[in-house]
Amino acid sequence: MKSPEAIAVAAILGTVSLAFAAGTTPGKPMKMDEPMHGEMKKQNMKKGDVKKAAEKKALKMKPVMEKEAAGAQKR
Amino acid sequence: MKKRSMETSLADHRGKLIRSIERRLFLKQGLSLGALALLSGCELTDGEGVQKMLLAMSRWNDGAQAWLFNSTKLAPEYPESAITKPFPFNAYYGEDEVRLVDAASYKLELSGLIREKKPWTLPELYALPQTSQITRHICVEGWSAIGKWSGVRFSDFLARVGADATAKYIGFECADDYTTSIDMATALHPQTVLTFRFADQILPPKYGFPMKLRIPTKLGFKNPKHITAMYVTNEYPGGYWEDQGYNWFSGS
Repeated sequence: MKSPEAIAVAAILGTVSLAFAAGTTPGKPMKMDEPMHGEMKKQNMKKGDVKKAAEKKALKMKPVMEKEAAGAQKR
Repeated sequence: MKKRSMETSLADHRGKLIRSIERRLFLKQGLSLGALALLSGCELTDGEGVQKMLLAMSRWNDGAQAWLFNSTKLAPEYPESAITKPFPFNAYYGEDEVRLVDAASYKLELSGLIREKKPWTLPELYALPQTSQITRHICVEGWSAIGKWSGVRFSDFLARVGADATAKYIGFECADDYTTSIDMATALHPQTVLTFRFADQILPPKYGFPMKLRIPTKLGFKNPKHITAMYVTNEYPGGYWEDQGYNWFSGS
């Protein structure tokens, strides 16, 4: 028979380790409105800024690359 | 006879030394002139003007660094015993928010000045000849760590897909929305490796699964992780941190 104390300790340890695993396991959706991590960020930079910048860059670079690729094919 | 040749050699050496000092003086004066122009040419209250000028100076700095870059000089390599354990995780998001890329559906997209634009699956990439390196990752934040990465030499991959090696830039898009770009000389450097493994294991998500471009001659933020697309171009592509004012070349 296990004592109620031992069961309680096991339950607490289990909960803590589960919480720890949930905190470091990758795959959680990114909170875009939260401030960025790391030392490179500047004031007011949010995680979602990176996605917005990537979309803007893709729009800018797509026609450039199509033009370059078409030019390369002609050569 | 010997004395005369020694005198000639000394005179030659003196001439070279004077030319070298003159070059240094010229560079020094040029830089002072640039700094003066910066101070006098724009009002400090004019934020946009200052930003434009600083950006122009930074681009000039990129050009100077690219000109000084020695494409055959290797970064130091280390023994297995020097590997940093645990290797630090670093990104603009938390470790729990690392994007999970599905290996089965993953395809590396290629565009721009590349002849063979066929997307690459992971088994195709893993089948390429692999190389390993134990090098130091240096972060702009001021820390560094040594790790072991393995993958295909980037110059071999670029040759295989028929990338235009005379183009100026290679840009990268990543699953975590990060973007960056590098110069062609660095892309062709023998230690620039498209890596699929870390510490002899498939790259874990936190270190950039399915692939990270490892460039030991550049700062960490120029080493993109979770790469999903790359393109070759002559148009300056910048990158996320580079567009915020961080030095684009950021290498030795």
